[in-house]
Amino acid sequence: MEIGLLLIAGGIATGLFGSLLGLGGGVLLVPLLTLGFDLPVREAVGVSLVCVIITSAASATVFLDRGVANLRLGMVLELFTAIGALVGGTIAFLLDERFLAGLFSLLLVYTAVTMLRPRGRAVAGEGAAAEGDPADAQPQTSRTRLGDAMSGGTYRARNPIAGAVGGVGGGVMSALLGIGGGLVMVPVMHVVMRVPLRVATATSNFMIGVTASTSAIVYLMRGGIDPYATGPAAIGVFVGAAVGSRIAHRVDVGVLRLLFAAVLSYTAFLMARRALGVQ
Amino acid sequence: MTPSPGTGRGPAHRLEATVSRVLKVGTYAGIGLIALGVLLMVVDGRSPLDVAPSLDPGRLPADLAALRPSAFLWLGVLLVLATPPARVLAALIGYLRGSEREMAIVAALILVVIALGVVAGTTGS
Repeated sequence: MEIGLLLIAGGIATGLFGSLLGLGGGVLLVPLLTLGFDLPVREAVGVSLVCVIITSAASATVFLDRGVANLRLGMVLELFTAIGALVGGTIAFLLDERFLAGLFSLLLVYTAVTMLRPRGRAVAGEGAAAEGDPADAQPQTSRTRLGDAMSGGTYRARNPIAGAVGGVGGGVMSALLGIGGGLVMVPVMHVVMRVPLRVATATSNFMIGVTASTSAIVYLMRGGIDPYATGPAAIGVFVGAAVGSRIAHRVDVGVLRLLFAAVLSYTAFLMARRALGVQ
Repeated sequence: MTPSPGTGRGPAHRLEATVSRVLKVGTYAGIGLIALGVLLMVVDGRSPLDVAPSLDPGRLPADLAALRPSAFLWLGVLLVLATPPARVLAALIGYLRGSEREMAIVAALILVVIALGVVAGTTGS
């Protein structure tokens, strides 16, 4: 009973801070379940995948209603993220738990470093293709009907093959680590395919459902999803993310980002210890 | 400015509205069932760390009738997992109606990959 309430509270915190900091819930939830509740990494990933689908679906509806997410671009890319998720979901059951913990530790270090980078500079430095950017008037992608469908009114999606390869990589990462895949797909769409950041973020969010669902089905069929652990975590994450999205514009996240970079670094250390078998 | 195929209004926007509706209904129904399951867990004195019964679709109706928490949790999880494929199916129907052959093929292929996930999960379990 107390553990259930603790898990709901942990889920709320995960959803709230994930929403405020622009992180997918999985980056915070998997370490919470693994280190805080002593769940095996693979079981924590299964729980996280379900939570990630719920939170992404809830926000994807807003992005779709506002016309920010590019449905066609998202669907073409999610074909490849789903292929990656299928491969990742399958090999996740062949890998050692300690290897997964080590991989997650690296992900946490990468996320912590990303959070310390100034947001404005990061966007500018990645060659942002803002809407209406004159560079976007130079179509470099194939002029097929599918290529046209993937592009927006004021931008053209470029390098579709590189985008597809990135999609497979994002899907594998999502399935192995229980994350949405936005850490991979937003840079792929924005930097490689030159899609405006706002559209890339919204479209990535929209794609998470199919990516996570494909691997979660593999986890479900192989007994990798525990309903008793999933229920309280999912409710907590859903409530936390809903509150976070409502108060995000009123919160100065500058200090919060620094604090969480430190927390993620320490969590990475703990996950690395687990990977090395040090208790 | 010409409406974009991906973000514009008109028929394209109607498809996005349909997809959005499928996501909303599936997600909120799923989370509602999971919330009910969690409530029953509390009433039943179950811990998240207890060993849960494995999914047995044949027993779900009887377990739901008996108000077993695991049944509501399983049904909620299944609904959540089925929602993204359902919105792909909704998009597929929309593309077929709009004679967008390439996008219809993409949507159909996504459903094939998801179905392969069921096969991969079943054969490996």
